[in-house]
Amino acid sequence: MEILRTAPNPWGQEILVGIGWDLMWLVVISAVLFIVVHVAYMGSRGKAAEDGEVAHGAVHALASDLPEHVKRHSFASRAFHWLMSVTMFGLLITAFVPVMGWQFEWVTLHWIAGVALVVTIVYHIVHSLAFQDFWSMWFSAKDLPQGMEELKHALGAGSGAPPKSGKYPFDHQLYHYAAALVTLAAIVTGVLMMVRVDTPFWTRDPYLLSDRTWGLVYVIHGFAGVSLIGLIAGHVYFAIRPEKRWITWSMIRGWIHRDDYLAHHDPERWVVKR
Amino acid sequence: MAIIRDMIPAFDLFQPASVEDALALLAEHGEDAWVLAGGLDTFDWLKDRIKRPKAVVDLSGVEELTGIRDTGAGIEIGAMTPLSRVVGDPRVRADFALLREAAEHVATPQIRNQGTLGGNLSQDTRCWYYRSGWPCYRAGGNTCYASAPKAMNREHCILGRSRCVAVSPSDTAPALIALGARMVVRRAGSESIHEAQDFFIGPATDIQRMTVLRAGDLLTAVRIPEDWAGARHYYEKVRDRGSWDFALVSVAAAFRMDGDTIGDARIAVNGVAPFPVRLDSVERMVVGHAPDEALATEAGELAVAGARPLRHNDYKVPLMRNLVRRAIRSVA
Amino acid sequence: MAEKLIGKDIAAPDLLAKITGRARYAEDFRVDGMVFCKMLLSPMPHARVRRIDASRALAMEGVIGILTADDVPQVEPHREPVLTNEPVFEGQPVLAVAAVDETTAADAIEKIRVDFEPLPFVLDPLDSLRPGGPDAHTHGNVRVDGEWRRLKWSAADFAEAGDERLPMGEATAEWSLGDVDRGFAEADVIVEETIVHQSLTHHPLEPRTSMAYWQNGKLYAFTSTQSTQRTRGALASALDMDPEDIVFVAEYCGGGFGSKISGSTLMQLPAIFSRKIGRPVMLRITRYDENYIGRARPGFQGWVRMGLRKDGRVTALDLYLVEEGGAYGSGDYGTAGNTAHLMYQPENMRFRAVSPYTNTPPKAAQRGPGGAQIVTMLEPIFDKAARELGMDRVEIRRLNAPGPESTFGPRETPLTSVFAREALERGAELFGWEEKKRLSGTRSGSKLTGVGIGLSPYTAGSRGYDGLMVIRPDGKLYVHQGIGNLGTHSIADTARPAAEVLGLNWDQVEIVWGDSSQGLPRSSVQAGSQTIHAHTRANHAAATDARRKIQEIAARTLGGTPESYTMDGGRVFRRGNPGQGMSFAQVARRAIALGGRYDGHEVPEGIHAETVPSVGRVAGQGLVGVARDDYGGEGAIYSWVAGFALVEVDAETGVVEVKEYTGVADCGTVVHPRSLGAQILGGSIQGMGMAMTQRWVFDPEWGVPFAKRLYTARPPGMLDVPLDLRWDALGIPDPQTPVGAKGIGEPPVGAGAAAITSAVADALGGRCLCRTPLTPDIILAELEGRRTFGRLETHVG
Repeated sequence: MEILRTAPNPWGQEILVGIGWDLMWLVVISAVLFIVVHVAYMGSRGKAAEDGEVAHGAVHALASDLPEHVKRHSFASRAFHWLMSVTMFGLLITAFVPVMGWQFEWVTLHWIAGVALVVTIVYHIVHSLAFQDFWSMWFSAKDLPQGMEELKHALGAGSGAPPKSGKYPFDHQLYHYAAALVTLAAIVTGVLMMVRVDTPFWTRDPYLLSDRTWGLVYVIHGFAGVSLIGLIAGHVYFAIRPEKRWITWSMIRGWIHRDDYLAHHDPERWVVKR
Repeated sequence: MAIIRDMIPAFDLFQPASVEDALALLAEHGEDAWVLAGGLDTFDWLKDRIKRPKAVVDLSGVEELTGIRDTGAGIEIGAMTPLSRVVGDPRVRADFALLREAAEHVATPQIRNQGTLGGNLSQDTRCWYYRSGWPCYRAGGNTCYASAPKAMNREHCILGRSRCVAVSPSDTAPALIALGARMVVRRAGSESIHEAQDFFIGPATDIQRMTVLRAGDLLTAVRIPEDWAGARHYYEKVRDRGSWDFALVSVAAAFRMDGDTIGDARIAVNGVAPFPVRLDSVERMVVGHAPDEALATEAGELAVAGARPLRHNDYKVPLMRNLVRRAIRSVA
Repeated sequence: MAEKLIGKDIAAPDLLAKITGRARYAEDFRVDGMVFCKMLLSPMPHARVRRIDASRALAMEGVIGILTADDVPQVEPHREPVLTNEPVFEGQPVLAVAAVDETTAADAIEKIRVDFEPLPFVLDPLDSLRPGGPDAHTHGNVRVDGEWRRLKWSAADFAEAGDERLPMGEATAEWSLGDVDRGFAEADVIVEETIVHQSLTHHPLEPRTSMAYWQNGKLYAFTSTQSTQRTRGALASALDMDPEDIVFVAEYCGGGFGSKISGSTLMQLPAIFSRKIGRPVMLRITRYDENYIGRARPGFQGWVRMGLRKDGRVTALDLYLVEEGGAYGSGDYGTAGNTAHLMYQPENMRFRAVSPYTNTPPKAAQRGPGGAQIVTMLEPIFDKAARELGMDRVEIRRLNAPGPESTFGPRETPLTSVFAREALERGAELFGWEEKKRLSGTRSGSKLTGVGIGLSPYTAGSRGYDGLMVIRPDGKLYVHQGIGNLGTHSIADTARPAAEVLGLNWDQVEIVWGDSSQGLPRSSVQAGSQTIHAHTRANHAAATDARRKIQEIAARTLGGTPESYTMDGGRVFRRGNPGQGMSFAQVARRAIALGGRYDGHEVPEGIHAETVPSVGRVAGQGLVGVARDDYGGEGAIYSWVAGFALVEVDAETGVVEVKEYTGVADCGTVVHPRSLGAQILGGSIQGMGMAMTQRWVFDPEWGVPFAKRLYTARPPGMLDVPLDLRWDALGIPDPQTPVGAKGIGEPPVGAGAAAITSAVADALGGRCLCRTPLTPDIILAELEGRRTFGRLETHVG
């Protein structure tokens, strides 16, 4: 399997030119295998409904003053999420579909999608720092034991009642940071790579960095790209799993039902205004 | 990039005697196979030790690929027909003089004896960055050296660039586009027919190929329909030297006149883009008009609309414009 | 002299072998046990070799050995080594591998790991002169009085010039005659231009292949070279050995154009390698190798200011040349300065030049080095002045051309003879100047017509070499030629005076050449167009010696005084009594019997030390004629060609088509008309290629060349040559040489090139693009006001 692609530069020095496309296939195949195995595993345990479904209407005494719809995502957050996902899909499709064999003029679409992604991410960072509870997505060492337990349940492997999480379950937090790291790597390298693309604003110049440095930039961009295939495949898969749909709906409607709140969240850790 | 050149590394040579055998060999060896026609593109690559195929399939013994025959609806030229034979063929001379002229502008008499029509159409670009073995996009790398700010690119493209800025080197391609030719492509078990202009693909579609041909494919013949037989035509190739030179810009055009006006026209230009460019918009514009100087000028301007020169090929804009003008003027 | 042979078309004796393929060039030789070698070329324009790991290559089956820079003679950094650990141009040989066949050697080369450390490099000499600019060598960028220097001009020097004019800082070469400022003060018209002349490779048809082996302490060397005896000397001196220990074979040469004058540095390689591995070694140079190591004409960036009085005389010429010195330096600029002075005879002149080293393949003489470039650059500018003065261009050239009393250059050198004015007049007549000049600047459709003139001088002779010949007992004259057979027929043509002196028919003459073991005399190098002059003289002298000896033998044998004998058709006989005489066969046998000076056992005083052992080799073969050319003479020997061209420039495509060309030579007595015509037109065509198509292109970022195949370097082809090609020669003998012939190889290049640059400028209404080559893109961009290469940019394409 080719992990890194190298080539002799014009002076015959062996330089990196990018990741091996075998890696893309490795990630795609791994993701598919994971999903198939996970579906089978969950099916065999018959856990889907049991974990996810909460019988609505059984108002908990503690929560009698809770609104029926607990607001989870503001409109701004949801808009960000979906816009970002559109750009992300745009980027992944324009990056990898041509490699897979369906060829089209992808470069312009790719960089435009990249610019759009950068805009959404900048918006998200500003928004989360200024207007959101930044720490809700954060976790500390003391959260880890419970986090691990949450993770097990999220994957359908836990036993007993799932532990109750804060606003963002541990698996979401983990995912967010993994995705953020990888996306930032892709963005930083991608923005650099923009000087090698003709745009209406400048003419490309391949010599801003040395070809060895460019090789690294390409490799990081490539690794980030294939990692995103895996991350997003997992994300989408879990989002459409029946036991997670209540969360998925919240990203569309903005709220979760009071019962879901009570069933899955620890009111101490996610304090909802009553 | 020097190290060593001019010494062909070893490879397995296959010399099939039939198309079927050739296709079977190409299917068997897949990406490792290399199709050898006249060798004028091939041997440069092999001598330079840049392309290193494991199996070379030499078509020179496949007789059925050579020759020009009347199909009743036009002619069919075998892909291995030498260019000099295309030039000398009475039917080509009589009905498709545009092709004859284009083929006669290829390189030198010796090269036309050795070079084939199929080879002339399928040959790789002559971008000297790429041909020097640099790891450019076309070679699977991540850089276009030819479009760097100080690069030497007077021979590169002004249209159709997409990361790669090389140009199509074929002299016969624009003529065949203007004549509405179709390329017959076979692979083991199937055959496909492509309009001439669709046979060539740009880097936006696939940066590592110049044509639709993929591993296992073989261009077997070119069919020229009667549509433009005997039509008025114009061919011009501008090059640095009078012979043995690729075009800086070339134009090929076929016209049907309707009295004093242009009844129908097909115009193609090469040397300006990574593929031969058919000028549909110019064709639409000139049809129904008298080919006067005003129309020629307008056609020239329209042809170069959207052209984006590189650092050193700004001249190609007026050159292409002027050649299109001349083509229109030629039927005045 | 009877002149039965001078001025006749006689095919050279090697013609049949060349046509039938029997001729053996260096790469055609094979000997038992011979191995092939291949070289590893530097991938970088300037680098240092840190480490070589050849273990995988040496382990291959069929690989015999490796030769590295440590195995070859060490030379000073400004001299070209055979192999190097500090390559100063891309493509410089770093090491060589010998193997049983070439494919194995090539595969082995690829298995060798060389760790190169890239070093700063420079392609454009002006970049090296900028403040803080890179130096091509680690020791500096120029050499002055034998010392390395880092010459940098000030930022102000560059700023003052701007982008359109040549910056002119400190020069390393400078001379003046008169007072150039006064000259400009007296001028009525002043023209000034910045010019760029490209660098271009030689591209001889035969690359510089060599083969060598050692036997019984002697080196047997086979190579492609323009000269023979002098190349043996060069090889001996490079290998620090006695020339007599080398059996040197070079019978044929597929062109050199100045790049193989005394062989090449690389001809040492097979000799050294063979000594190391004990096997004969063949180094076949490929077209690709040849591109790098086959030398190039240096390019120039120049500035010229010329002042003329109303009467058309040039009062002042101020010339500044920045030469691209290449990896190991070049001196074309010196000849360029002298030639400029010779051409226009300016009343006052200043010449300045600097020649920084660059990391481009090494430069060498190329057919008319320095002269061809300057004529090509200056003629259209001179035309501009003529246009401003409203003078006829032939007339203004005639007016300024040198005459019998003229001198040129900083040392005010006189000339042996000069008929430049006559050449112009004859050329104008043959070309139809008066009628054609009316077409100047006319337009027909998209075609603009222009007419141009190039008046080009170049050196054409030398003196003092030796002649050696033997009349053997078969009655034939064997003329031993130490000169090389570089494709000009001089190998045979310079022997004609010997036959004339001895009254022989041509079929009684055999030429011995190309193999030093046969005994060859001290000769000139085949360069500087000197051979026909130098060796008609040397052979004339040796034949005169033989004639005297024949007469003496006849007198001894048949009685009477030597003076009473004459000779014709291979017999010596009493004047007035042809019946009393003897055949040359008898004379030869008698000479052998007499021995001493008659058969070469005694060597005359005054011949060159290198000729002495050669006389020893022929001693006893027959009657030996041997002598040094003591005819003497004063002044420089120059030939001239006046070239006239009519071109059409297509204003819509920028394409230049040469419609007509006429070249007329002043080269003294015509020895071989057909061959002379081939030189005049062949040289002119080479010049046309220089003016129109040929170039070298480098990527500025990586410092590596592109136009390295014939199809990208674009030497002119059949269709670039006009159908209407005419030539003539004045045939006025040079008074200082017995045969009267002067050389012709080089002057036509400048004439052909300048006629084109002058004609193109004329077609464009007098606008001098002042850049070569005049490719369609540059012309069209100029006409259309489009962006093109920078005014001073070099190596473009």
